[in-house]
Amino acid sequence: MSDGKPVTIIMVEDDEGHARLIEKNIRRAGVANEIVPFSNGADALTYLLGPDGSGLASKGRQLLVLLDLNLPDMTGVDILEKVKANEHTRRSPVVVLTTTDDQREIQRCYDLGANVYITKPVDYDGFANAIRQLGLFFSVMQVPETD
Amino acid sequence: MSLSVSVVVRSTIVMLVLGFLALAGIVGTTLWLVEQNRAWFEQTTDSREIRSAAIALRSALQDAETGQRGYLLTGEQRYLEPYERSVGQIPALIDRLATVFAPFPEQARAIAKMRTAVAGKLEELSRTIELVRDGHRDEAVAIVLTDEGKVAMDEARALFDQLIDVADQRIDDGVVNQANAADALRWVTIVGAFVIVAVAAGAIWMAMTYTRELSAARQEVVLANAGLEERVRERTADLGRANDEIQRFAYIVTHDLRAPLVNIMGFTSELETSVGELERYIAARGSDDDDPELRAARVAATEDLPEAIGFIRAATRKMDGLINAILRISREGRRQLKPDTLDVKAIAEAAVASVQHQIVEGGGAAVIDATVRTVVSDRLSLEQALGNLLDNAIKYRDPNRPLQIALRAAAVPGNRVAIDVEDNGRGISPADHERVFELFRRAGSLNQPGEGIGLAYVRTIARSLGGDVTLRSELGKGSTFTITLPRDLRRHLEAKST
Repeated sequence: MSDGKPVTIIMVEDDEGHARLIEKNIRRAGVANEIVPFSNGADALTYLLGPDGSGLASKGRQLLVLLDLNLPDMTGVDILEKVKANEHTRRSPVVVLTTTDDQREIQRCYDLGANVYITKPVDYDGFANAIRQLGLFFSVMQVPETD
Repeated sequence: MSLSVSVVVRSTIVMLVLGFLALAGIVGTTLWLVEQNRAWFEQTTDSREIRSAAIALRSALQDAETGQRGYLLTGEQRYLEPYERSVGQIPALIDRLATVFAPFPEQARAIAKMRTAVAGKLEELSRTIELVRDGHRDEAVAIVLTDEGKVAMDEARALFDQLIDVADQRIDDGVVNQANAADALRWVTIVGAFVIVAVAAGAIWMAMTYTRELSAARQEVVLANAGLEERVRERTADLGRANDEIQRFAYIVTHDLRAPLVNIMGFTSELETSVGELERYIAARGSDDDDPELRAARVAATEDLPEAIGFIRAATRKMDGLINAILRISREGRRQLKPDTLDVKAIAEAAVASVQHQIVEGGGAAVIDATVRTVVSDRLSLEQALGNLLDNAIKYRDPNRPLQIALRAAAVPGNRVAIDVEDNGRGISPADHERVFELFRRAGSLNQPGEGIGLAYVRTIARSLGGDVTLRSELGKGSTFTITLPRDLRRHLEAKST
């Protein structure tokens, strides 16, 4: 996960506890990349696409988006749709990590271009395990530079 | 225009009365006119009688005069014959005339005069005839020449004319009156006929209008009926939607409850790890009992904190179980049912086979008796319902006797199938018969692990299949759970979706 330029992990998660647990478990997997947390959709979109929404702000960045679908101001699906529709961010991998295991929702996310869809296991051990495996996955995956 | 029943009844009565009155008018007038006619006819007949009486008297008088003249001229007895014949008749004829004129007092004077004139004439006639008979013809002629007889005769003639005129007048009157009466009868008949025709037409119109309205009203009733069915369908659809809403609600709530639970469990794990670190550190410090702070810290790290964490873990695990149970039930409600032709006996056998080792463990046995072959339903639902009931039968067996399970499937009225699962287990007290079907509720001694969702789940399944589950049980003897299902799930789904 390092090609000279460090990959930034954008974590969109409204539950601060979850955010903290995710971060801890990713760190435990040995991933040291910068994690930028957002607790609502609007701030995350501003960061990803810039204040003008053009996506130029992300030009040249290497981003990996970790996305929860249940956000206070919008659904993660909206963010997914915008990220995948923008020419500068569409190649950034998006990992949907949420509690919803509704089949239609999962299909919709993949249709919109989600790269991975993970249901948060409800028991903590499973949850921690999943995040750690995700972290291991992050450490080997290649993230393209946005253009 | 709409006719109320009372209007129709009242109008019909009015028309009947009008028609009856018209008919009665025609009949009454006809009777009256016939009576009048008869009266006019009688008057005419009477008048003819009067006329003929007058003419008969006149003829008799003239005959008498003729006889006198002939006798006066010839002296021959045979010319006197008309006189002699008439003179005998005349008194009777005068009496007859008087009689027929009796109803006309205004003519009484004329009759009296007539009597005088006739008497005068007869006296002159008899006098002259006597003279001729005695041979005094000249004297007789002289009497005639005095015009005494002629005057009397003229007077009589005038009186005759007057009386005959009266009779003629009466005859004419009678004829005119008869004609008038006929005219009146015609008009009354025409008017009456018109009234009857009008009443009949009105009655027909009324009957037709009323019949049309009745049929329109019937049509409306039919439409209203259809509307009612439509409304029932709408309400059913509303209920279905409300049910879906509740299912969705349960689903969302369980998901939202999971998020904080993950935090509690996650940070409890973090805490546990930290406590482990702390414990190791304190253990490394050795047992320096003189330091009270260290002692307290040791107690906290080795006893209090692990105990608290243990309780937190147990509570969160229980809560996790409950949330999962709700989720499972709400998922079952949301699951798309796939109607399939199922072999009831095969499914029962499979369900028993999967728990066979548990049944035979304590020397138990299961029998299957299916008198119904197939049912169209959802395979997975039916398997799960039977599986849950069998699990319960095994779980709540009576340890003092070998388990006996009987599965029976039979057709019941209403095109339904009843599947009994009977056991000889510990049974359920009547007070708990409803309660055991409620979510998270259990009955009897809680010596078996469980969350209290099995029967709630079975009930959810049975109801989503268009059926229900009921219980017959006696504490200490055993329980029989009966699942009733429609024989064809497709029809139930059709009814639900429309």
